[in-house]
Amino acid sequence: MTETAGVVAITLPQLLLAAGFMVFVGVISLRLALGLERDLAIATVRTYVQLFILGLVLRWVFGIDSPWLVLGLLLLMVGAAAQTIVKRAPDAPKGLFGSSFVSMALTGFIVTFAVTGLVVQVDPWYRAQYVIPIAGMVLGNSMTGIALALERTFADLDAREGELLALVALGATPWEAAGPSVRTALRAALIPTINSMAAAGIVFIPGMMTGQILAGADPLAAAGYQIVVMLMVAAATALGSVLAVMLTYHKRFSADGVFIEKGLREDAR
Amino acid sequence: MKAPLLEARDLRVVRSGDAGPLKVLDGASLTLERGEVVDISGPSGSGKTTFVRALALMLPDVAGELFLEGRPAAEVGARVWRSRVALLPQKPVIFPGTVRENLLVPWRLKVRHDTTPPGEDELRAKLDSFGLDDVALDRDAAKLSVGQAARVAMARIGLTRPDVLLLDEPDASLDESAAAMVASLTVRFAETGAVVRVRHHRPDGVATRRERLVAGRLHGVGDSD
Repeated sequence: MTETAGVVAITLPQLLLAAGFMVFVGVISLRLALGLERDLAIATVRTYVQLFILGLVLRWVFGIDSPWLVLGLLLLMVGAAAQTIVKRAPDAPKGLFGSSFVSMALTGFIVTFAVTGLVVQVDPWYRAQYVIPIAGMVLGNSMTGIALALERTFADLDAREGELLALVALGATPWEAAGPSVRTALRAALIPTINSMAAAGIVFIPGMMTGQILAGADPLAAAGYQIVVMLMVAAATALGSVLAVMLTYHKRFSADGVFIEKGLREDAR
Repeated sequence: MKAPLLEARDLRVVRSGDAGPLKVLDGASLTLERGEVVDISGPSGSGKTTFVRALALMLPDVAGELFLEGRPAAEVGARVWRSRVALLPQKPVIFPGTVRENLLVPWRLKVRHDTTPPGEDELRAKLDSFGLDDVALDRDAAKLSVGQAARVAMARIGLTRPDVLLLDEPDASLDESAAAMVASLTVRFAETGAVVRVRHHRPDGVATRRERLVAGRLHGVGDSD
């Protein structure tokens, strides 16, 4: 075990010890016929490979510290997140990638740079060591919220098919017809965030604060960071979800406001 | 010459069927005057629902022309059109809330913001006229029977005073006496407006004209029952 500046570095034996626990879990899975051995092995290997690569990439990025590299990396992250959102909402209409990308990019960038620029006051503004991890947290969390909001919106619209037909027939605009579904979906998307804010510090120690404490930071300073990040993540989730849903719900309506129900879709599954 | 109340010219709808493109409507035309009740029948799957939905501008991708008192649909505007050419879907829809709230749903919509919603007396009278004397306005609409729900949905659309009523199988969930009541209300509505009904029950003496939808076109069956 080596210790530098209050940080206990993890070395090869410790990494292997962690894997040993996974072997143990694998044995249990085998004995109980859970059929998870393969998935466990793959997941374990992926954890090792992906996180080490991430470490190497970040080390390289931090070393170069170029604003273009940081912005490019952020765009790549947003793209990957938008792709994930599209996959998680299979019932949504086509053209979801664009609006997901825009929502993620807009809220992600604004919130990330609000944290690094105004709260943490990073100098220079693109300092990768701050920008990338904070963007990762903001994008990761808002991605989950946006995916949930979109999935719920289109599932609820389909469930209310008859109601939508009647409402549009009475002269409703797409917004008047879809409104209840949008509200239901946004509420569903924001509740996990609100819950985790309410439980923070009592039920669990949030991830970033844990990391900072393990890295030797003063717990109070770590708490300050965590508060800022949590509120910002909540804001990003809320704004991103609202934006994404507002940009997409009308895609289920024709140009003159008719709800395109399942029976009318060419791509209906 | 005065333009007809509603005119549909050469409506065409193509859907992808199991065996290639399917012409659901293939030049369907209809002219409708005030005072008329037109019944549309036809084999199941012949496009009767598609046709009335097209008349209400409730279908995307319809080719052909539609006119309301001589004005093309695009000029009237889809939402105003739908408020005047009202479609009652086959499956009665009841919204969460009381019967009163259900009857007032149309007035929560922007398209009717400059009209006054019906008062308590008018709502009551409307329900009574549909034989719903025993249904309180405060009743939770979710507790209505299927037949009651169908009539509340009809009362709701009637309150909006459209010019044309499009009824997709209005008798489907009604018993004989309720159906008779709805039939006589249909006659009364047609004194000032016009009605198109999708119907394959035997004639009930209400229709002034009957049409059959076959191979995507309407064919006159006779001038009356």
